[in-house]
Amino acid sequence: MKQPPANALASRNAGTASPLTRKCLSMANYFRQHWVLYAMLIPGLFFLFVYKLLPLWGLQIAFKDYKMFAAETPWKAITESAWVGFKHFRKLFGSSQFAKVLRNTLVINFLKILWLFPIPILCAILLNEIRCRIYQKLCQTMIYVPYFFSWVLIFGIFYSLLGSYGIVNSLISALGGERINFFGDQGVFRSILVFTEGWKEVGYNTVIYLAAITGIDPTLYEAAKMDGANKFQQILNITLPGLLPTIVLMLIMKVGYILTTGFEQVLVFYNPSVYDVADIIETYVYRIGLGQADFSLATALGLFNAVVAFVLIVGANTVSKKTLGRSIW
Amino acid sequence: MPNKILKKRKHKGIALDASEKFVTGLAYVLMTIFALIAILPCLHVVSKAFSKGTYVAQGAVWFWPRGFQLETIRYILFETQFFTALKNTLIVTIVGTFISVVVSISTAYPLSKPSFRGRRPVTLLYVFSMVFFGGIVPAYMVVQMLGILDTYAALILPFAIVQFNMFIVKNYFEGLPETIEESARIDGAGDLRILVSIVCPMSTPVIATVTLLYAINYWNNYFHAMMYTQSTSMKTLQVYLYDLINSGAGFLENLTSGGLTTSSLSSNITAEGLTAAAVTLSIIPIIALYPLVQRFLIKGITIGSVKG
Amino acid sequence: MKKVFALFLCLVMILSMTACGSKATTETKPANTTDSASSGGQQAAPEVPALKGPGNVTLKRLGYNTAFDPNTDINAKVLEESTGYHVEYFMLPAENADEKLLMDISGGADYDAVNVTINQFRTLVAQGALQPLDDLLEVYGQDILNSGHSEDVWNALRGEDGHIYAVPYMYPADHEIANFMVARKDLCEAAGITEMPTTIDEFYDMLVTLKKFYGDQYIILSGPFYQASEANEAWAIPKTITAAFGIYSDWMVNDEGKVIYMTEHENFPKMVEFMSKLYKEGLIDPDWAVNTEATLKEKFSSGKTIICCGNRGLGDYAMPALMENLKLTWDDIGYISALSGPDGTCKYMETTAFNFVTCIPKSSKNAADVVNWWNLRIKDDLHITIGDEGVHFNYDANGKIDPINPIFAEERGNSYWYLDVTSATWGSELWPARVRKSASQWHAFSAVTVNADTNRIEFVTNEFKFKPATEAYSKYNTTLFNDLKDYLLQVMAGIRTIGDLKTFTSDWTNAGGEEVRAELQAYYDSNK
Repeated sequence: MKQPPANALASRNAGTASPLTRKCLSMANYFRQHWVLYAMLIPGLFFLFVYKLLPLWGLQIAFKDYKMFAAETPWKAITESAWVGFKHFRKLFGSSQFAKVLRNTLVINFLKILWLFPIPILCAILLNEIRCRIYQKLCQTMIYVPYFFSWVLIFGIFYSLLGSYGIVNSLISALGGERINFFGDQGVFRSILVFTEGWKEVGYNTVIYLAAITGIDPTLYEAAKMDGANKFQQILNITLPGLLPTIVLMLIMKVGYILTTGFEQVLVFYNPSVYDVADIIETYVYRIGLGQADFSLATALGLFNAVVAFVLIVGANTVSKKTLGRSIW
Repeated sequence: MPNKILKKRKHKGIALDASEKFVTGLAYVLMTIFALIAILPCLHVVSKAFSKGTYVAQGAVWFWPRGFQLETIRYILFETQFFTALKNTLIVTIVGTFISVVVSISTAYPLSKPSFRGRRPVTLLYVFSMVFFGGIVPAYMVVQMLGILDTYAALILPFAIVQFNMFIVKNYFEGLPETIEESARIDGAGDLRILVSIVCPMSTPVIATVTLLYAINYWNNYFHAMMYTQSTSMKTLQVYLYDLINSGAGFLENLTSGGLTTSSLSSNITAEGLTAAAVTLSIIPIIALYPLVQRFLIKGITIGSVKG
Repeated sequence: MKKVFALFLCLVMILSMTACGSKATTETKPANTTDSASSGGQQAAPEVPALKGPGNVTLKRLGYNTAFDPNTDINAKVLEESTGYHVEYFMLPAENADEKLLMDISGGADYDAVNVTINQFRTLVAQGALQPLDDLLEVYGQDILNSGHSEDVWNALRGEDGHIYAVPYMYPADHEIANFMVARKDLCEAAGITEMPTTIDEFYDMLVTLKKFYGDQYIILSGPFYQASEANEAWAIPKTITAAFGIYSDWMVNDEGKVIYMTEHENFPKMVEFMSKLYKEGLIDPDWAVNTEATLKEKFSSGKTIICCGNRGLGDYAMPALMENLKLTWDDIGYISALSGPDGTCKYMETTAFNFVTCIPKSSKNAADVVNWWNLRIKDDLHITIGDEGVHFNYDANGKIDPINPIFAEERGNSYWYLDVTSATWGSELWPARVRKSASQWHAFSAVTVNADTNRIEFVTNEFKFKPATEAYSKYNTTLFNDLKDYLLQVMAGIRTIGDLKTFTSDWTNAGGEEVRAELQAYYDSNK
């Protein structure tokens, strides 16, 4: 902690050097003074390199005919397999499956955004209007709880509710309706995905908007009241504009993440009778890669997915930064 | 305090106009409905866990136990590998969350300083790795090569840093007033002291939030837990659960061949009841965490940083 | 302050390192042997790794999913006492088993023995993931080689390079009606049905009568039932029904000696139309595509189902539970065996086949000991699988093994899971005792198989039961089969009809169907 004097000396020396050396010197200086900051990065970078970047080496099998046991270890085989260029990509883009899973991915996520995006905003505004603090907390807690559940658990819960002889169908049948085959009917299955997604996520998103609402200056409401604005006008003219940046940011992010969400949900929920409407890119990658041992083709599709997702996410963040001055990073 | 009470009285004094009444009414009705939608399915499962097997099998259990019994729960607790799975998940969650939170804070802090040299490339690296993944198999090979397959480490280290959570912390740090740090610096405090004794205490909400997010991440990890473990003694709660849901009847068969006669069981225990009991038991611990963090949630969860 | 920080950093790193280290112990065990097993010298004594011997090595054995813990089960102890080898047991998950297996093997997990289905085995062989066993068997596995298996059996376990890659665990019965339906006689009689159907028309009439009588109160026919052992047995359509259409396997040989796929069979459209009709008229479980073995059994044992697809395994829990729940007796249980078509067709494939096979992954360093372990276990098969005379069983008047329950069920009930290799005679000598593990299993087995009407039911030879692994078959057949299964499931869920067969066929061709056919045809022609 005795650095400041030394530092002051160094910077005085730097004053007489050429611009380039000065830059180097000040860099070295900065490093000496803040080496702790760099040390702090080490654990994170360690994990990043080993567990996130090292596996990227495997991406090359998208351009190779991967023979898993061609070498001593499968890892070495990655390097030793023969290059085949874009063969797997050509095969992929030519298959009818590809179009199907791409369409499913987009449709399912679009439906999720369409139905689920407005609900948390509404919830947050309404929750804010509940005067009774205890009741407000109670409601908030209740809708938040499902966020804690894994998809495995949620599947267990909804299967016993919505199965052909679950209580929902018992109710429908008792009221004289036709039993609905929730998990096997192509027309209904996507709704199940959307509904359970909402069931899990609405509470969490509500809290995000609630947080934004608490950030709105209360004096604005006082002033509006003075001006005789009624509740609707207050919500329309103060709450919503106050929430707007968060809303836009969330929307941009939702769009940006379209290709990378929903894997575990679909994996746990789907079955062959709904493959046509439920199979998304990642579940398909999983099935052809590990189910059928076609690692190269699976990796090619995964790579395609990653490239598009990367563009989408970076694009979304840039848009958000430009228009709102807010971003994820 | 007295001031606040005064203010409240004043509010009440103003007559609620029609629009306010409507909105408040709507709020109560709709939120009650939402809360019920969220909670009734859970209640249904919990009820099943405590109900007599015959009622469960008939689908006669709704939102309250019928023919209350604890046999199913007792069976799950003491006759299956529930405790082993719970122990594994607890260890992974606690140790993992600790490592993750520490690493996230220590990564986020340098990256949150505008003057930090090298901030851009490092940030970009994290962004890049957020979406680019080498595929399931290469990731598995890395875990295998490190020799940590089938250990707790395999369930922790690959997930030690979630970029998104790290960015939440970073964004929060960026929002903190610069002035306090500056004055501490003038007092001669180094970067580390500032982080530990000034920044962190000011950031309890965000730390609580990411703690929760990480904990959930570890707790709910099913897919990788299935892939990276092999022995039965390493099964985590989610893997155990999924197996139970998919082969509940198998568990029962095992029961009968394990010396217990069918007659003592079938009236109380059913495969569906077993699943419900396992689900119920695995919900409890993670909900217990909720009250601890909920008071920080609203403050900590603000998404996205505000840039100049 | 900095020290504290440094400490903190260290703590984090150490935590990760120790976690890493905990695994290393199992890996640093003596690995002095070379894996030159593949050298394959033809003359003289083959060069094989030396034995480490019982007690000096812990073997790791992977098997399919089961509800009990194989490490603590008494059978693990019996096996260890008999062979001297300490073995750690692992199992695949209940769902996603194929994916997990491939992941483990491709990622280089260090299993020593892997117990898999014949199709999983073929995939592994095609990937080159296994060690050749010829030399090892020659040196350490004489009892296995001399256990009476025909040359056909061994040929089926060879790769395209001619090496043996697995040891056989045969399906115990040659002519078992493994798939049948269990019906609630009490409900049938109430609806006026006194006889169990034997023809497809009687069967259909039965379903219609039940539907008329009960409406939505019960699921009339619930399924499908997937047999755990053989992947290709896992059809979405019950074999009870397919038999009436003369369809008995995914790949069949027609009268002209041509290899055809199930979808090319002349009766396939009729069969699909029949199933579509059942769906449309609400005669089958609407959850057909979603049912798992667990939900199927659950529905049956809780009394929601009138007719349930299954095998004798239903006797283990579902049937006793049903009878207990609803206070039924054996008289209330009926069985529907393979049905006859209008022209009297009733084809059921003989069950001579591999139940499982066990192989050694390339990554294993204990191959010699694994083979030795197998050899020791096959020598002591009676004790390990069935038990001791006077304790677990007695010989009856005919010299057949008659198990003593409940001790047999308790101490040897799960021994089937530990079977890696069987002798040729185990099916006729040892297995009949196992099927008497429980009274209810025996009830089903004797009703359907022992008392089968062999005049009516024609057992068809499985032409491909011992076909060795070939490239296209290993590569494509799983996909073809899964697509077929999905198609049939979609038919059962009312999503697809026979009109979609054209699309299916073109997809089938794209997925390598013709290549597989060519291989099978070549095999069939060369074996005639």
